[in-house]
Amino acid sequence: MSTQPLDPQTLPDHDNLPDNAYAYCVRLTGPLFMQTGRMIAYYPSGGGTIRFEPLTATSMSSMVASHFSSPLYSRDWVVANGQGHVILGDRGYDINSYDLDDGNLTVRAANLLAFDAGLELKESIIPGFLTLLGTGKFLASSSGPVIFVEPPVRVDPEALVGWADCPAPAQHFDAGWMGHFLGAARGAVLGTRSGEERQYDFTGAGTVLLQSSERMLEDPHVVRRLEGEVRSLGVNQLTHLQGVVNAQLQQHRQ
Amino acid sequence: MAGWRLESPRVLVVDLDGSKGSAVRAATGSMVAYEGDVSFKNAGMGGGGGLRAALKQRVTGESLNLMEVTGRGTVHFAVGAGYVLVLDLAGDVLKAESEGLLALSDSLRTDVTFTGLQGASSGQGLFTTTVTGHGQVALISLGGPPIALRVSPATPLVVDPDSYIGSVGRLQQSFVTDVSWRNLIGESSGEAFSLRFEGDGVVYIQPEER
Repeated sequence: MSTQPLDPQTLPDHDNLPDNAYAYCVRLTGPLFMQTGRMIAYYPSGGGTIRFEPLTATSMSSMVASHFSSPLYSRDWVVANGQGHVILGDRGYDINSYDLDDGNLTVRAANLLAFDAGLELKESIIPGFLTLLGTGKFLASSSGPVIFVEPPVRVDPEALVGWADCPAPAQHFDAGWMGHFLGAARGAVLGTRSGEERQYDFTGAGTVLLQSSERMLEDPHVVRRLEGEVRSLGVNQLTHLQGVVNAQLQQHRQ
Repeated sequence: MAGWRLESPRVLVVDLDGSKGSAVRAATGSMVAYEGDVSFKNAGMGGGGGLRAALKQRVTGESLNLMEVTGRGTVHFAVGAGYVLVLDLAGDVLKAESEGLLALSDSLRTDVTFTGLQGASSGQGLFTTTVTGHGQVALISLGGPPIALRVSPATPLVVDPDSYIGSVGRLQQSFVTDVSWRNLIGESSGEAFSLRFEGDGVVYIQPEER
């Protein structure tokens, strides 16, 4: 019942730790982009050291600029460089490695842990998602094991981890709910929400990745993105927005 | 030592035969079920570690709330659906975070030691609870099974203090406060240091950051 200790000789080079879906070991052979706060331990090898450099102050700035095309997320990522083993964990989420072969895959930003320099990162048109392009490996986490489904499919937004090769989804609203919405007085509060009326609709050929639980992470970028958009609003729109925010705050206080 | 087993990776079961040797001290509130004639008594100040330990705990915040479990029967312990790691101590010294301690044999002694000088915002790893003697001790690992990592003179190890749960062996612990580490830690936590272990021993970590 005691755990056999691991060391750099017995650690996997690129795999989950033995009998542990919640921790993953990567042997560094080149630069690795990592989300901050996901590294739980590392073994520098050969008396050297592993450097974790912020994207804003890295010695590889041109490589970073060409591989990380997202100002919004740049503060939350670092580049790891050096020789040794790095162990990652993510709040008790399952961690899996994926290979991309000249492909494209879009994944929820909070679930993306790391990717190698063979891949390029861009922001998806869907808020809160990031797109990876190229050939290489990346690590993503999920609440429970990942389920792969093929379009056409409609999925719950909270269960969505990502999608590959198919067009970006459209938002779909349940037809019955839409009927009710259109029939009701404009702006009236609807008392008929089942929590499932908003769905993402996938079409075309590809793969959709789902997680088995709808537990959501608080994504600080949603707020940051909204902040960015507020700057482009006029006085009337801002006043309107203030009213909406106040009404929402009132609801939370009750 | 007989009497300790894991019923599932997350539940520790201890058989008590009424002797002094089978008694355990466990984290307050960690009993989830028991059968037989078993009594649970607050171990008092310092978790049974004596007045000196109690004072140190009060000062350092490395508080240890333990209860004495004695009698004849079978007791099930669990905390927060965490995975349980059971270690046999044969005169070794275990250093552990107090909040990660689930249970220990009554024969083991606990104390608080100071492990470093440099500033730490959370206090994680700055003071540590030491467990010494002969017996068994159970630690809790959150977010997944515990990970045991061997440290040797050729293979030093660096860990996130929020994932660290304990260590055994002759290890020198130092704080790494370099700038690059600061950037590696999430914005929400104010951690600005990591723990570096050198020497000979085993370090235990959990997949979740506290």
